[in-house]
Amino acid sequence: MAKSITPDAISTILSNPSPDSSSELPEIIVQVIDLTPIGNRYKFTANDGKMKLKAMFPSSFSSEINSGNIQNLGLIQVIDYTLNDIPSKQEKYLIVTKCEAVSPALEVEFKTEVKSEETGILLKPKQVVEIQNEVKGEGTGIFLKPKQEIVAKSAAQIVNEQHGNMAPAARMAMTRRVHPLVSLNPYQGNWTIKVRLTNKGTMCTYKNARGEGCVFNVELTDEDGTQIQATMFNEAARKFYEKFQLGKVYYISKGALKVANKQFKTVQNDYEMTLNENSEVEEASNEETFIPETKFKFVEIEELGPYVNGKELVDVIGVVQSVSPTMSIRRKSNNDVVPKRDITIADKTKKTVVVSLWNDHATNVGQELLDNADKFPIVAIKSLKVGDFQGVSLSTLSKSIVLVNPETPESQKLRSWYDSEGKGASMASIGSDISPSSKGGARSMYYDRVSLSHVTSNPSLGEDKPSFFSIRAYISFIKPDQTMWYRACKTCNKKVTDAIGSGYWCEGCQKNDDECSLRYIMVVKVSDASGEAWLSVFNEQAERIFGCSADELDKLKSQEGEENLFLQKLKGAIWVPHLFRISVAQHEYMNEKRQRITARAVVPVDFAAESRLLLEEISKMKTSQ
Amino acid sequence: MDTSSPAVFVNAELLRTYVGRKVRAVVQVIGFDGGVVTGKSVDDQQLIIKGSPPSVPVMNYIEVIGIADSNQSIRAELWTNFGSTFDTHSYNQLCLLANGEFKSLFL
Repeated sequence: MAKSITPDAISTILSNPSPDSSSELPEIIVQVIDLTPIGNRYKFTANDGKMKLKAMFPSSFSSEINSGNIQNLGLIQVIDYTLNDIPSKQEKYLIVTKCEAVSPALEVEFKTEVKSEETGILLKPKQVVEIQNEVKGEGTGIFLKPKQEIVAKSAAQIVNEQHGNMAPAARMAMTRRVHPLVSLNPYQGNWTIKVRLTNKGTMCTYKNARGEGCVFNVELTDEDGTQIQATMFNEAARKFYEKFQLGKVYYISKGALKVANKQFKTVQNDYEMTLNENSEVEEASNEETFIPETKFKFVEIEELGPYVNGKELVDVIGVVQSVSPTMSIRRKSNNDVVPKRDITIADKTKKTVVVSLWNDHATNVGQELLDNADKFPIVAIKSLKVGDFQGVSLSTLSKSIVLVNPETPESQKLRSWYDSEGKGASMASIGSDISPSSKGGARSMYYDRVSLSHVTSNPSLGEDKPSFFSIRAYISFIKPDQTMWYRACKTCNKKVTDAIGSGYWCEGCQKNDDECSLRYIMVVKVSDASGEAWLSVFNEQAERIFGCSADELDKLKSQEGEENLFLQKLKGAIWVPHLFRISVAQHEYMNEKRQRITARAVVPVDFAAESRLLLEEISKMKTSQ
Repeated sequence: MDTSSPAVFVNAELLRTYVGRKVRAVVQVIGFDGGVVTGKSVDDQQLIIKGSPPSVPVMNYIEVIGIADSNQSIRAELWTNFGSTFDTHSYNQLCLLANGEFKSLFL
């Protein structure tokens, strides 16, 4: 095994400036750096990783250096030396009178902060690298005549590194060759990673065509901060569920990598990992457990509106008002039965919301909350999905974290608010404020209010599921020469085609009809103070915009005469403000992802309500300053 | 557009600060009698509007622009009928904002 630099070698030398005989000296091994020729001698700096010392080889050593025995960045054992004073300075000068080369050049200048694993790797000879440096003219002035076999080994190493492949498993016996998470890929299976478990999901059961199963996943983070999700099914899930504990560090190998499913992506990584029964998981015994403090970004209950049916997960904190018993819910998709418990929480906004706890959350922490319900505990929950059941509903996911009475400032503030005024205050459910699509959706026009630029500047809105918003905008332009309607079946409103002969054929109703109705389908341009966008509009909404049916508008279109009544009708529809309920989704068009905004409801503007909304916005501006 | 002498948005409270100046206010017509209209201001106080009003139906809202000639009256030069529905709360807030934090935007 290669000898390594003696810790505090320089201090040892400095404390013993004139050793008597070499036999009494302790082993002093230092690294030679800044090796520079001066005349027929070489000067250098002796480095022990902590301290450096100016030094000199007598001319007798020049041949050793020239032949490559003693190299820059290499290690020497100092067997005999003297320490001189530099006349004009406070420094000492080391004259090495007897030494022995111990190791050829290390990769870099040695520093003691380097972690022990990496030291082990660094001390492998990298002579070919040195030669390359020389060729580049980095001016270390060293000639390296590497011995043949060492070259061969180094070359193999260089090649390995160039390909990003990691050392074969045989090396594992010597040092645990740990690979950074960022280097993992599906095409190279021989890796070991050293990671901390930063999140552990709950165990979920499922049923599919192949039978029943259980699954859980974990989030792994390595030293560089790279994260990857690892999933385990069935046997592997059972095998590792107890073993994996939050905050502990593990060596993991023999996992399988595949490209991550963007729909379920939880961490920033192109890949995700699956561990099976053959995967190896070993706890790193010398590492401390560090449970990262759960970082919350709380959304007040009153502010939950814009998140409904969105992709973004929210964190909430509130006082538990009630806890339901456990319910067994049968999943429609696979007839699976999962436990669920509903809790109602309230916060300073004097609004309440129902949070559904699923699986382990229902049975474990849910039970704890039920037992303590009479004390109105504070609960903080991270990573909740926001749904629209009864207006607003929150649901836990396997990765959600539920903390009861956490010792955080927000928890204290809630506690004191509740004890002083909250307890007696009358609360309202946030859901009743946001009941979606009542006739025309009038109520929902005020809660997920955004500006048009918010929608258009965010191309990823509605990526998986459509996002809903309300906007106040003017119709600014209607293309007169677009197809504004389609022929529709009078019964089912589906598109009809020309029947053979006369009349129309409806595929849905499987029958012919002499007549059909026209139903609007068109795009209009809308504008507000922030920008503009194209809005897809269907029959119901277009009728409100024009004030007439598609059939009527069609009649106007085909009318001849001086006054173009059709164009007048269009003109009358623009620069009219409306409140729109819109859905934003993505679709592909000519290999490009495009945003499609559809009007779901249209109502006239209530100016009094709008004024109040604006006043609210103004006061929000003031408080945020 | 002549911006040389802007009319200050006032309610009854603010009117006293701008006596002698050109102001504008919205009032609800309570009654009128001779050349004087009695109106209810947006902050629920009584104001007298002098001048020659066009026929204004009682209970409608009117905007008047003119010189404030006392704590409680305005000598109106311009009258506009705002109709029968009007959100006095928002207008009152407007008066407060236009004379408070956002005064520089208006005067």
